[in-house]
Amino acid sequence: MSGSALRRLMAEYKQLTLNPPEGIIAGPINEENFFEWEALITGPDGTCFEGGVFPAKLVFPSDYPLSPPKMQFTCEMFHPNIYTDGKVCISILHAAGDDPMGYESSAERWSPVQSVEKILLSVVSMLAEPNDESGANVDAAKMWRENREEFNKIAQRIVRKTLGIPT
Amino acid sequence: MGDSGGEFESGKNQDDLIMQRQREIEKEINESIMLVGDKESLSTLEAEYLSDEIYKLKVKDLATKYKNIRRTRPDGNCFFRAFAYAYFESLLDHKEDYNSFYNIAVESKKKLISLGFPQFTLEDFHDTFMEVLAIAGKEEPNAHDELHAAFNNQGYSNYVVVYLRLLASGQLQQDADFYQHFIEGDRTITEFCHQEVEPMFRESDHIHIIALSTALNVGVRVRYLDRGESTEAIAHDFPEGTQPTIHLLYRPSHYDILYPI
Repeated sequence: MSGSALRRLMAEYKQLTLNPPEGIIAGPINEENFFEWEALITGPDGTCFEGGVFPAKLVFPSDYPLSPPKMQFTCEMFHPNIYTDGKVCISILHAAGDDPMGYESSAERWSPVQSVEKILLSVVSMLAEPNDESGANVDAAKMWRENREEFNKIAQRIVRKTLGIPT
Repeated sequence: MGDSGGEFESGKNQDDLIMQRQREIEKEINESIMLVGDKESLSTLEAEYLSDEIYKLKVKDLATKYKNIRRTRPDGNCFFRAFAYAYFESLLDHKEDYNSFYNIAVESKKKLISLGFPQFTLEDFHDTFMEVLAIAGKEEPNAHDELHAAFNNQGYSNYVVVYLRLLASGQLQQDADFYQHFIEGDRTITEFCHQEVEPMFRESDHIHIIALSTALNVGVRVRYLDRGESTEAIAHDFPEGTQPTIHLLYRPSHYDILYPI
């Protein structure tokens, strides 16, 4: 059988359903279309995002897993590595060469043996430990560096918002 | 128009625009050139360099040693694709080599898993690789056509490339102490593999060729057609000192397959 994006995505979905990583749920929005997924990511404990449940969308290219998917949070986010429109900017979502943000050379990159699970785990780490060198959101990066208290307040407000608690 | 240079505001996704353009360029290339072309006479190469004295001399010399060329798509995967095609093609005529190579290929999966590659995502690439390899073991007269068709089907062809990339990466990581000396900058071998070997569309260098030819025990002779001083396209054999099974033509940033006289 020739390699196919659909077969691989179905296998990954099955794997994530049988063995879900802690704090992460992900799968196709609609089983008619395996190329668009929704994910729910729980904010990591002991961080300013603790307790939040953040929804995101993953869109896979037709040549997945040769090329990586794109990922975008669909809730309000304020984070150095997330654009204001919610797009996630981390190294594992890029192959080397596709490298406008100048990621560190040690950073994890996309390759066909990576997986949705690896991406989502990287996103959880990113929430816990922002990389303030990559300025997807320059204001957030600056505040993270210079005014952590204010940053934490905004994060807590976003957490409450994702839970539907009045802010 | 303010001086803030609105285009570069955070949140505007410049990288998406750049990559979109890059993908458009790739698509244009893809649509114009087959993944692996038909066998052509070496005279088609001579015709490319009629007005270039340095290249003309070297191609003339090449023509005394090689009778055909088979071109591959210049998409950054050309070394791996050319290697796989040329070697599988040679196996069609050498069934004794086929059997021993088949065993090496079966065993290679265990080796990669023991080196830490994730079995879950590795399996698909290995299975597809074995499936294409099996065509090279067929006795039917149309086996060559079937092989050619598989190499021009993205689903098969690209998965074979991925698997060879993983094998090259595995070899580099297994002998990291040795290969570390050839890496520029302060990257570790593992970082180099994650960034330059495993991702699709990354171009190959000497180190990729040494690693892959060593991992599979397949000798490769590369003929370098460049602006260097000599009057012939200089040959390098990988691994050094081995009898080459396959011959490749290198022109800056690209590999095609050569067929000796």
